[in-house]
Amino acid sequence: MRRGDAIGRHALVITAIVAMLFPVVLALATSFKPVTTIFDLNPIPVPASLENYDLALGRFPIGRLLFNTFVMAIGVTVTTILVALPGAYALVRFDRARGRGLVLVAVGASLLIPPQALIIPQFLMTTRLGWQGHTIGVIIPQLGVSALALLLLRDHIRAIPQSLIGAAVLEGATSWEILRHVVLGLLRPALGAVAILLFISTWNEFLWPLLVMPDPEDTTIQPGLALFLGPESSQYGPMLAASMLASLPVVAIYVLASRRIADAFLHSGVR
Amino acid sequence: MTLTLAPPKPRADGRTQSGVAWLYFSPVMLSIIVWVYGPLVFTAVLSFLDWNLVAPDIEWNGLTNYHTLLTQPEFGNAAWNTVKYALWVLPFATVVPCALAIALWKRPGRTSEFYRMLLFLPVVLAPVANALSWQFILDPLHGTLNQVLGILGVEPVNWLGDPATALPTIVAVTAPKVVALNTLLFGAALANVDRRTVDAARLDDATEGEITRAIILPQLRRPFILLGLLSMVVVWPWLFTNIGVLTRGGPSGATDNVYYRLYTYGFTFFDAGTASAAAIVIAVVFGLLLTFSSLLSRRFRATR
Repeated sequence: MRRGDAIGRHALVITAIVAMLFPVVLALATSFKPVTTIFDLNPIPVPASLENYDLALGRFPIGRLLFNTFVMAIGVTVTTILVALPGAYALVRFDRARGRGLVLVAVGASLLIPPQALIIPQFLMTTRLGWQGHTIGVIIPQLGVSALALLLLRDHIRAIPQSLIGAAVLEGATSWEILRHVVLGLLRPALGAVAILLFISTWNEFLWPLLVMPDPEDTTIQPGLALFLGPESSQYGPMLAASMLASLPVVAIYVLASRRIADAFLHSGVR
Repeated sequence: MTLTLAPPKPRADGRTQSGVAWLYFSPVMLSIIVWVYGPLVFTAVLSFLDWNLVAPDIEWNGLTNYHTLLTQPEFGNAAWNTVKYALWVLPFATVVPCALAIALWKRPGRTSEFYRMLLFLPVVLAPVANALSWQFILDPLHGTLNQVLGILGVEPVNWLGDPATALPTIVAVTAPKVVALNTLLFGAALANVDRRTVDAARLDDATEGEITRAIILPQLRRPFILLGLLSMVVVWPWLFTNIGVLTRGGPSGATDNVYYRLYTYGFTFFDAGTASAAAIVIAVVFGLLLTFSSLLSRRFRATR
């Protein structure tokens, strides 16, 4: 590769990274600035201060919001995998089952229906079930999107060598034993990646928790931030500090697991 | 004492297979029937009713909701904005991530891995936090952007408050997520390209530009179309969050789109009928577009 090409390549990628990440970096730096210098153009927060974090923690029930968000994200991750994994496994294992085509179509089409077209009935059902204001109301209805996890898992299960499953069949293992002892063991890395993606995307969910848990004191972190700091708010310091606290857990998880997430996509059938 | 070796049971026989398979299928089928297909039918029924979501009196309304909806200038405006959003988003879903993915693919290694990690980060970042960071940067009086432009002698712009700039600004705030996701997915598509052909071309003194044009791009045609389509599925909730936090559809409807309008009908005006009619219109148009484009891409593949 010629030198000029290499420089051009790095320049392209670095420009994109800077353009995409500077708002966050700027917000992070600004969150450590004292109120008096918050609009100064110099982005470096010297002298640094934790004033904004103090204000944010004092004003918002951030512990409560983070706890609710955590419960929701774990709840959705676990229930989605419990629902999607058996389905994904059966699609691969029982390839001649009657109605398999129907399952595939139903699952695929469910992802193409605009979710916004479903929120009114989902909201009414959740209210009728008495789940309004409870974490279960934000967890269970999100099972509607379990099809995506199913398709990702199916690709990984398909990649398991048939010989391993064939051997287990010859030894008389039932399909459940094969799932538990053969498939689950080999699937662990992919399952981890899917779980992390589910956790992160649920953590960032905005509209559904806003509808089901609209109390600013007892909701999840995304609607919580928006409810406390609408377009009228101009108290940028505490707002940015709270935003950083809202992103911190998922960014930490991502940085630790980014390799695994990339691999899960690169080796899946998304291509 | 006789010892019999039982032959392996023919357990893969069609009928028992189906029974067991449906035990495994049932959780996911139940979930999507209850939370996707049921609500879809429910929405269709609601679209013919006059109901405010809470009051006990529900009236049959015939096609009135559809008539109201389609004759309202707000819905027409939202529909036209939706087209504008789609056109603005498309390059960030195709050309930009494709170029980035090719740049990363050409030189695999630690640096590329590191770049890739940073490039995916916007997908992970909390969307409301991202919107609020932008609100700070775009503040009309003290915002970083206007301050920098001021130094360059440009008059301050009210980015989110001016109908001329508001929609592109919302797209700019949302674009990093689209670019980030599709860069990863283009990377997955590139994993199929045979590196040896590229090495051979390099030995033959082909320039990098020629290699990209002649070898890599032709193999990315299908992902190009697919990922453009995929972005039309995933981008609306992301836009929704930014619209909801930054502009609430304003100024004077400039950043509204059909999805935000649906939410406004349903949860600001509590008009379940009109909101459901909007939902059905959106779902039908969206379904037609998907069918049309998949037919087109199949045709395209056949004539290639």
